[in-house]
Amino acid sequence: MTTAVDDDLLDETFAALANTTRRAILARLAQGAATVNELAEPFDIALPTISKHIKVLERAGLVVRGQRAQYRPCALDAKPLKRVATWAEQYRPVWEARFNRMDDYLKQLQSNPKDGGSR
Amino acid sequence: MMDALGSKPAVVIEHRFDAPVDLIWQMWTDPVHFKEWYGPEGASIPSARMEVRVGGSRLVCMEVQTPNGTMQMWFTGEYLEVVENERLVYTESMSDENGIVKSPGEMGMPEGHPTTTEVRVEISADGSGTRMVLTHTGIPEDSPGAAGWRMAISKLSNYLDARR
Repeated sequence: MTTAVDDDLLDETFAALANTTRRAILARLAQGAATVNELAEPFDIALPTISKHIKVLERAGLVVRGQRAQYRPCALDAKPLKRVATWAEQYRPVWEARFNRMDDYLKQLQSNPKDGGSR
Repeated sequence: MMDALGSKPAVVIEHRFDAPVDLIWQMWTDPVHFKEWYGPEGASIPSARMEVRVGGSRLVCMEVQTPNGTMQMWFTGEYLEVVENERLVYTESMSDENGIVKSPGEMGMPEGHPTTTEVRVEISADGSGTRMVLTHTGIPEDSPGAAGWRMAISKLSNYLDARR
């Protein structure tokens, strides 16, 4: 379902952004694409850890990896940041589904409950 | 660009129900009715306690079946406005089963989720039915953590924009 996928993506985006190192990586990528090695340079962190951070950013759709050569440079994709900005919109389908259920429930209440709800 | 995380109305939904105003009011204020429709798809509401008066509290439990078993989520809040058959305004925060507010971080969620939101329900007669306007607003101002988060996102966003 689209909504569930969107929700998951939003969760991923928030989770990805909730980390100083990952925000720093994004800030670096805003200056242009970079390889994992280049991204690791300013940090006193082991390469595998940086790779892990990049994977989180990739899952959240904030970073795309190139297919070129073995370096697979990382690039920024800022689109999910816009989705975060409208997090509240994520509530809309939830409420709409609730009100449809309220409609059904009201119909059930207002008809004779004993005859199975049919008119 | 990031100001949707601020205090302005976040979601406004209008809906018309084929039922009188007083029945719609009960849908929101009588736990027996509330439990029947409130749980999102796949969730149920095993318990809902509502002191429907200004300053009164509410505590709602939502139960979700997950592959790892049953998960319970609690939501607490306070009624800010109670005008029978017209307007109901309450706050909502995640909490434990005793209504002690949990920060989104404590609930395993990233800091960015607003700690408190406000739900405003306005109803009026529309022929034989009821017109309802729901406004669900995030109020991260109430939470230093969330406000900081909002600043962090907008700073990051400005930073990213400036570098492009």
